[in-house]
Amino acid sequence: MKTITRRSALATGLAATASLAAGTARAQETFRFGLAMPLSGSQALYGADQVKAAEWAVAAINAAGGVNGKKLEMISLDTQGDPQLGIKAVTRLASVEKVPALILAWSAVVKATAPIMNDNKVLGLSVGANSADVAKLGDYVYTTYPLADVDIAALARYTASTMAKKKAALVFINNESGIVAAQVYRDVFTKAGGQVVAYEAYDPKATDWTGSILKVRASNPDVIHVQGVVGDIPQVIAQMRQLGLQQVVSSYSAIYNPKFIEQLGKGAEGVIATSLAPGADDDPAVKTYIERWKKEVGREPNGLPYTQYLYDAAYVVAAIFKSLDDKKLPLTGENFRKELIGIKTFDLPLTGQLVVNENHTVSKPVILMEVKDGKWTKKAVVS
Amino acid sequence: MLDPAIIGQILWSSFANSSYFVLFALAFALVLKVNGVFNFAQGGVMTAAFYAAYTIVGTAKGPGWLGFIGGLAAAVVLGIAIEVTGFRNLRLRRASPLFVFIFTLVLTELIAYIAMLIFGTWPTTIFPSLYWPVTLVGGIAISEWDVPAVLSAATACIALFLFLRFTRSGQCMIAVADNSELAELYGIERNAIYVHTMAVAGLMVGLGMFLFGARAQVQPSTSIELMLFAVVASIAGGIGNLWGAALTAVVLGIIQNGSVLVLPSEWQGLLLYIFLFVAIIFFPSGIKLPTRKLKVSRRATELDGESQET
Amino acid sequence: MDYIYSVVILVGLSIILASSFNLSIGYGGLISIAHPVFYAIGAYASALLSRDAGVPVVVSIFVGALVALVASVMVALPSLRVSGDYLMIASIGFQLGVLELIKNVNWTGGAGGLTNIPAFIAPTFGREAYVLLVLIAAALTILIIYGIAHGPIGRAMSAMRDDELAFMALGRNATSLKVGIFALGSGIAGFAGALYAHYFRYLTPEQFDILQSSALLTMVVVGGIRTAWGPVIGAVVLQVLPQAIAFLDLPTSFLGPLQGLLFTGLVLIFMFVRPQGLVSAGAVWRPLRRSGAA
Repeated sequence: MKTITRRSALATGLAATASLAAGTARAQETFRFGLAMPLSGSQALYGADQVKAAEWAVAAINAAGGVNGKKLEMISLDTQGDPQLGIKAVTRLASVEKVPALILAWSAVVKATAPIMNDNKVLGLSVGANSADVAKLGDYVYTTYPLADVDIAALARYTASTMAKKKAALVFINNESGIVAAQVYRDVFTKAGGQVVAYEAYDPKATDWTGSILKVRASNPDVIHVQGVVGDIPQVIAQMRQLGLQQVVSSYSAIYNPKFIEQLGKGAEGVIATSLAPGADDDPAVKTYIERWKKEVGREPNGLPYTQYLYDAAYVVAAIFKSLDDKKLPLTGENFRKELIGIKTFDLPLTGQLVVNENHTVSKPVILMEVKDGKWTKKAVVS
Repeated sequence: MLDPAIIGQILWSSFANSSYFVLFALAFALVLKVNGVFNFAQGGVMTAAFYAAYTIVGTAKGPGWLGFIGGLAAAVVLGIAIEVTGFRNLRLRRASPLFVFIFTLVLTELIAYIAMLIFGTWPTTIFPSLYWPVTLVGGIAISEWDVPAVLSAATACIALFLFLRFTRSGQCMIAVADNSELAELYGIERNAIYVHTMAVAGLMVGLGMFLFGARAQVQPSTSIELMLFAVVASIAGGIGNLWGAALTAVVLGIIQNGSVLVLPSEWQGLLLYIFLFVAIIFFPSGIKLPTRKLKVSRRATELDGESQET
Repeated sequence: MDYIYSVVILVGLSIILASSFNLSIGYGGLISIAHPVFYAIGAYASALLSRDAGVPVVVSIFVGALVALVASVMVALPSLRVSGDYLMIASIGFQLGVLELIKNVNWTGGAGGLTNIPAFIAPTFGREAYVLLVLIAAALTILIIYGIAHGPIGRAMSAMRDDELAFMALGRNATSLKVGIFALGSGIAGFAGALYAHYFRYLTPEQFDILQSSALLTMVVVGGIRTAWGPVIGAVVLQVLPQAIAFLDLPTSFLGPLQGLLFTGLVLIFMFVRPQGLVSAGAVWRPLRRSGAA
């Protein structure tokens, strides 16, 4: 019986591979790359929208003639933002679909799959994971999205110098991205001459922040930075206002959406958010993009800036394919990586210019948005 | 840090915010007490109640009170459905507690997926705004949500108490909880009582989720996190002890909030589990609340039917 | 090929986990869902010992299993003294509490996860060797559990499940039997955890939460509780089925929740249509060969 069990497992796997092999046979006429994102599970609220954006980009590229006449093909697999499923997805893309490059997101997935991409020499483009560790995951892991130190650092510097705030309080969610971002803010703020007077972590499951907020109130800050998730930051800020904290509050791109203003009403006045992508008012292409979302899906995309980067990631891949095809180089992961560094500067439709550094980071200007008279307005651009 | 204004604020805010937790804990404890089931499917009922209210108020732009009734109705209907099609069936098959437990877990996941399909996973509130203006009373901020929440939760508790004490259905529930076979010998139909219990639990869940959804955002996965607190309160309060569960829910909330004054804030999350562990090891029968002394009736009945005062 | 290896290894580890879980909850009748936490403890212990303390991986794997075993005794002993119901709640609390602890402490990598776990066997003998190792471990686990279940200990467990009071009246110690079974099952889970850690070389606390417990429970119950092959079938089916659904090529926006819906719906239907599981438990007592005529 044992052998039957083992055999049945292998048999299923082989059957799967056979069906895939049939599929890949026709793939010679297309440029294929992979996409490993949360299509289901708790992260799907962002993941599904990001995948849609990438699909739109691929369709747009193909409608405009493809890459040197050949179609671009994206193979999407579900990771649920979970490292184990991510490993399955990336292994499949690398060793079964044999793509030279793939786009992925979510720090845990990127970290878990880095060894696979490095071992198989498949270029991994992390788009959206902002942990600073992403830059240190090996030769084949690059990011096209600015890491945590970029936007939080810019905000902290701006708050300390231009806004001349001397005392900052930090309230952050006790998970990896919250902890890392809080550390970056603290380091940069103190280096710029400020003082961090409160440093409060909160449990991801918390629904009541009274204790932490009272501690912050007692520390008398000039400015408060909240690093949570889209599901709790509005409540945190609402409770802050209720408990008498009228200081300027800053946060990051998670709150940069119109719903935030609706939820907080007057409490949203003066709140500052970072954004790493141009908004509708800055760029007509972005305006058209958002309008298309509203028409086809009935709402704005969740995590708008991330979807912009995912859209543009397809263009990055297309550009590299074109360059390799022009030079008649084989489409291996190794060459993909070389071309990425070789091209270095990309002009992208929804996020502007991207400069890929060899140290696996990217540099982008950070846009600071502020709620004024019930609307998000651009406050400053910090590079 | 330990000045009276801060302590007072922590006490008040925790007390007010524990209103929905008290309701969730009571619902869970009631079903555990009477039906003898660890009803983790309550998470699914909570999700349904919230999204029903949200659809009426948020999507269809109906009035708040209609959303409230909608939430209650959804919770009651779903609770009864789970009892009639799920638990009753499992009881008939004499399913092991483990089997029932898996059923409740998988059911909650199923409902969460349905909610994801229909409503997406973007966090939403019932009303467009989650900001409630505050008034200061003696240095303590009291929001316009706090007082209605506390009052409605308190009313619900009193109503439950009166229901269990004075209505026939409530008394039957207590009888079934004490000894269900004996209750049946007295003509109490167990299956009907189980349905009543799920309905009452549904009412409390509906109210609790409405209160919660009026001040916080909810996603399909939120109810599972809320359930954790309710379960810990029910267990630490003593299995079968309704008011112990309610009291524990309030105390737990206060401890969690107050703990940041003495502990580093990262450890807040761990507190819940430490509390649970300590409760299980040191207080296995839960908090001892004063029990009602049963009075012997002083009216003796004569054998020939006349009653006499003694 | 690498893809198939990963799938086979994950299936193999699931078989080990489901079988050892079956030992505690099926044969032992203990209601605990915290099995994944011992998987986690074994994984983290072995990873940390080999990465930070320089212990050779061969040793750290066994030490990891031992740590998981000791932890399980620490949970079971106090809770079982109270009652079986309490073990369930205590185990949930323990699982979530340990995960919370891992997330908050720096030297476990915190919420970001533990990276750079040293590899084992694969670099020197190839991935095939690791697959073999896992499959051998799975086979051994099934053999051990089969042996226990059909031996004197198995009969004792069956007697204890049937009527614990009578069992104790006969002078047997129910609590020590329960703790022993729980410890063995958890130790095996810890061993599997260490095997996982040294192949995939990255651990996060999220991988070991209640969802994992639910998946394991489903494997055991759908496969068939109290049988040697039930958890095996359950593990294979529950690992391979989601992958198969993924091959159906549904539109991406639907795929996610729909897959979850199909899956949980299937499990529920299954539980009501065939509650004994795919492989039904036979009687522990086999009729003697010489079935007596008069």
